[in-house]
Amino acid sequence: MDDLLNEFLTETGESIDVVDVELVKLEQDPNNKEVLDNIFRLVHTIKGTCGFLGLPRLESVAHSAENVLGKFRDGDLQVTEDSVTVILESLDRIKEILAGLEATEEEPEGDDTDLIGRLDAIAEGKDEVSAAPEPDVVEGEIIEPVLGRSLKAGEVSLEELEAVFNAAPGPEEAEAAPDPSPEPEASEISGSDSGGSLYDRIGGDDTLAVASHLIASRLGNHSDLGKFFDGTEVDLRKGKFLGLMLAIFKDDLDAADAVGRQLLTVTGFGEAHFDKLLEVIKAALTECQVSADTVDEAVMSFELVREAVITASKVLAESKPNQKGKASGGTASDSGPKEKRKVAQSIRVSVDLLEDLMNMVSELVLTRNQLLQITRGIDNSELAVPLQRLSQCTTELQENVMKTRMQPIGNAWAKLPRIVRDLTVELDKKIELEMVGADTELDRQVLELIKDPLTHMVRNSADHGVETPAERIAVGKREVGTIVLNAYHEGGHIIIEIKDDGRGISPSKLAPKIIEKGLATEGELAGMTDAQIQKFIFHAGFSTAEKITSVSGRGVGMDVVRSNIEKIGGTIDMVSIEGKGSTFQIKIPLTLAIVAGLIVKAQDERYAIPQISVLELVRASDNSEHKIEQIKDSPVLRLRNRLLPLVYLNEILGFMSREEIDAREDADDFIVVAQVGPFTFGIVVDQVFDTEEIVVKPVAPILKDIGVYSGNTILGDGSVIMILDPNGIASLVNAGLGDSEQSEEAEEEQSRKSLSDDIESMLVFTAGDDNPKAVPLALVARLEEIDISEIEVSDGRNMVQYRGSLMPLIMADPRMKLQESGRQPVLVFTDREFTMGLAVDEIRDIVEDEVHIKLASAKDGVVGSAVINEKATEIIDVTYYLGLAFPDWLKSGDTTENSAPSDGTQLLLVDDSDFFRNMLRPVLTVAGYDVVTVSSAAAALALMEDGHSFDMIISDIEMPDMNGIEFAKAVRASDKWATMPMVALSSLASERDIDRGHEAGFNDYIAKFDKETLLRSLSQQFKIKGDAA
Amino acid sequence: MNDLVVRNDLSVVSTGSQDFVTIVVAGQMLGIPVLAVHDVLNAQNITSIPLAPDWVSGVLNLRGRIVTAINLRRRLDLPPIEDGKKSMSVVVEYNEEPYSLQIDSVGEVLSLDDQLFERNPVTLDQRWRDVSRGIYRLEGELLPILDVNRLLAFENNGKAA
Repeated sequence: MDDLLNEFLTETGESIDVVDVELVKLEQDPNNKEVLDNIFRLVHTIKGTCGFLGLPRLESVAHSAENVLGKFRDGDLQVTEDSVTVILESLDRIKEILAGLEATEEEPEGDDTDLIGRLDAIAEGKDEVSAAPEPDVVEGEIIEPVLGRSLKAGEVSLEELEAVFNAAPGPEEAEAAPDPSPEPEASEISGSDSGGSLYDRIGGDDTLAVASHLIASRLGNHSDLGKFFDGTEVDLRKGKFLGLMLAIFKDDLDAADAVGRQLLTVTGFGEAHFDKLLEVIKAALTECQVSADTVDEAVMSFELVREAVITASKVLAESKPNQKGKASGGTASDSGPKEKRKVAQSIRVSVDLLEDLMNMVSELVLTRNQLLQITRGIDNSELAVPLQRLSQCTTELQENVMKTRMQPIGNAWAKLPRIVRDLTVELDKKIELEMVGADTELDRQVLELIKDPLTHMVRNSADHGVETPAERIAVGKREVGTIVLNAYHEGGHIIIEIKDDGRGISPSKLAPKIIEKGLATEGELAGMTDAQIQKFIFHAGFSTAEKITSVSGRGVGMDVVRSNIEKIGGTIDMVSIEGKGSTFQIKIPLTLAIVAGLIVKAQDERYAIPQISVLELVRASDNSEHKIEQIKDSPVLRLRNRLLPLVYLNEILGFMSREEIDAREDADDFIVVAQVGPFTFGIVVDQVFDTEEIVVKPVAPILKDIGVYSGNTILGDGSVIMILDPNGIASLVNAGLGDSEQSEEAEEEQSRKSLSDDIESMLVFTAGDDNPKAVPLALVARLEEIDISEIEVSDGRNMVQYRGSLMPLIMADPRMKLQESGRQPVLVFTDREFTMGLAVDEIRDIVEDEVHIKLASAKDGVVGSAVINEKATEIIDVTYYLGLAFPDWLKSGDTTENSAPSDGTQLLLVDDSDFFRNMLRPVLTVAGYDVVTVSSAAAALALMEDGHSFDMIISDIEMPDMNGIEFAKAVRASDKWATMPMVALSSLASERDIDRGHEAGFNDYIAKFDKETLLRSLSQQFKIKGDAA
Repeated sequence: MNDLVVRNDLSVVSTGSQDFVTIVVAGQMLGIPVLAVHDVLNAQNITSIPLAPDWVSGVLNLRGRIVTAINLRRRLDLPPIEDGKKSMSVVVEYNEEPYSLQIDSVGEVLSLDDQLFERNPVTLDQRWRDVSRGIYRLEGELLPILDVNRLLAFENNGKAA
């Protein structure tokens, strides 16, 4: 693309953004002259440049907008919301055209007459009395009669041009000037079309000649400036000015600079003098009938040489005083202090170049680190000093290069006032947007990436957060809502807060949606805190607006924001108080290229974890304060009264299986507590080294699919290591994570469920005959198909090698036979170290149904019969088969008569083992009891608090958190359940244990696997109870 | 490469020649176009990458660049290298990413006449056909030419391999 056009696009884009913001300011404060001037100037510049580049469509839109702004400025028009809206619209149109221009390098086709019409209507319609002398025609004297309309800025009417020729004092003199300027050409002068450079619009060589003559002659007599110029001939002066103006107006900056330096022969020319010089120039140009806008622009362009002129004068001052001594003390002092003010110097550098620079610096940092590492081992090396110096330079270089990439966050905010303003109009709300810390700087790459999420969040706050004025007044708030954006640095990160004082997020409104989307069940929600429920807005596909507006709620929600922020290694958190408002906090690294990484080890290999996600480190071993414990299969750590779910890095990376990890002796682990979004979890590693500054390099494309790495890097010692991605790890283990997080809720849920209904998942299969048999699905660990050829016979029993050990294979029915060949379906049951396979003929179905066991069965291995899928189905007794597989599993074999008490006797079964709960429940149900199961003593006590009552409690002894003994004491100490009979179930059945149980308040103490004794004891207890009553 | 194929198809006798670096993997000599080879390395420290495809042996540091090491034997379904022997590597580039192909040894640079070139025989093993550009008939030996682009086009055949 044309460099000029490119520059224009960049600049205009920036100006438009500023105008956007300023206009909103203006609307709030219509009398702010400064803001208005600024807007006018910017729009004017846009228009001017468009004309210069020959972009008629852009120009006409900008022109009409400028007209309206001009009227504002002159006080002819009041600033109203409507007119501002139309101007904003025209800015949008300009942006559209710019976008088209950027894509095709040509102005897109389109019709702007409607917009222009409206702008003109505003400019004229409300200003009929004064019948509009257009502000951009010089002094309002000349109205173009031929065109029948007012002139656009930059246009010069033919009459004007003639006037220039006629009225200008002595154009002949100008031509006589010893200047090598080309002959004036008619075509150039008659440039009444809007296109063309400043040079053309001013009127070409002729006008300039006239102007330079005017300037030169006036300067000679000027009261202040005369002394600087009277040393030179008028003609020479004229030549200098003509050359200067030609160079400036033709955009030949180098030449302008050179001419500017030669302009003066006398020292002491200061800022103030230059300003005066500009006035002279302005006056001269105006006299030459150049339009006011063009004059302004021309004068502004003189700023380009301001420095050159002044510096040149200073140089003269430094070199000449001794030789000539011409500079008078007076002039020197009067220009002294002001001269020192430096004009800020800047150049445009392409972003690519900066990126390259940053990459190279990153490499340099790495190499430096490597060198340092090497010399660390060498004493008294002569390298030490230069290396120190190199190190220092590198650090400084790194900092400075980083700085070049830093941009104030305000750049990302620039569009927000406009967005909020549009929203207030559209939604009929009143919102103030407050921005604090707009000058907080961060890497431009990061800045680009957070722009969209930020915009989205502010939209959300305006749309969903802040209430309508009526609602606000009704709840006693100020009519105008506030959204505060706040950015600040904190420990190598930048924190951005988006705070509104709106209605906050209502958990009760979220709840039905969460359930509707299937993100959680009602039961799970009931157990959550408000904050937990509110965080569901970060889940995919969530939008809380009651109705979908054009503003937000197009199905993209906070989940996208969250994932975008996490993509750049940031985190997002939220605090929301219903009725008070919400605060979102985004934490992002200052730069993406260099981050602090914690180096950890797993299986002899080192990995880096980005420091931003690391909260703390904990060391855990069997005999230390912190110990890794297991809930079912999930490892957890008790950390300050919270359970922290853990993942083993060794397991994630496939180095070790869980069994191997569990089998380690004297495990001494380090736990890196990491935070990903709202989740906190621990990554168990073998060892933790130090923190290093690492330069993140992307992984090769073939490794992109592996979610656990976010990149790789070269360490100080030259080795390459992988950078782990906590987000990836979290999502990899998310299922497990969710489980342990919700385990408590799930338990409560289960206890509630067990009170309300008896829905069970049953696995239906056949074995031996066609009659369906069923087993509670919860008891089945896995379903397998085992190759017949793998089945071995040992000790007269069928065995199969399964997961590294021998698993006995039991027939589900004595009549059935193993298949001749092929694969045999097997149900695998597991409890602690016992794993058994139950061979069946066919797995039929999994049925979720209310299961009422109707008939107790005398048949071995059958608990009873129930109607499942409208068919009588035998429910098998897994304990029987476990007994077959492992003789030491069950102790009793013979069946005894058990007098089942009357129906409806309620038992509470407390056991932390799923297996036992699921196994005992059918057994007890068959015996005629109504069973409620809970998985912890705490859950049981909760039921007590809730006012439930039971006829008896059966409790396990070994349970985590609160064991059976403590539980019994607690029950006995309570007032509600103090007299309730309690039976202890335990695998610890020594004399001492039994005594302890009795002491604690258990009425009976039974070995865990003894089904018959349990039933006998139960009926006994009820008898005692009945007798006592 | 297209030129070659066209010439071959039209059976036009050409007098052009191409330069190849020969490498040896599990006793088999292979050719790589000399311009595709950026570097030849001795055994390097390679950081393994858990969970990566098995033919990715890891990443290594080549003068500050991170290079992905490809185990050519595994990629070509050849037996693993004998114990105690060390691999060499040739560094090639694909899609501007450097890859280091682990091989047994590097031979010489040969300038081969186009007339010696022949397309893959149809009976060639599929895995080899996927990565071989064609074969040069050398005296006493055949030299399959490794097509680096196809070898490293994981997006297409990475899963199949």
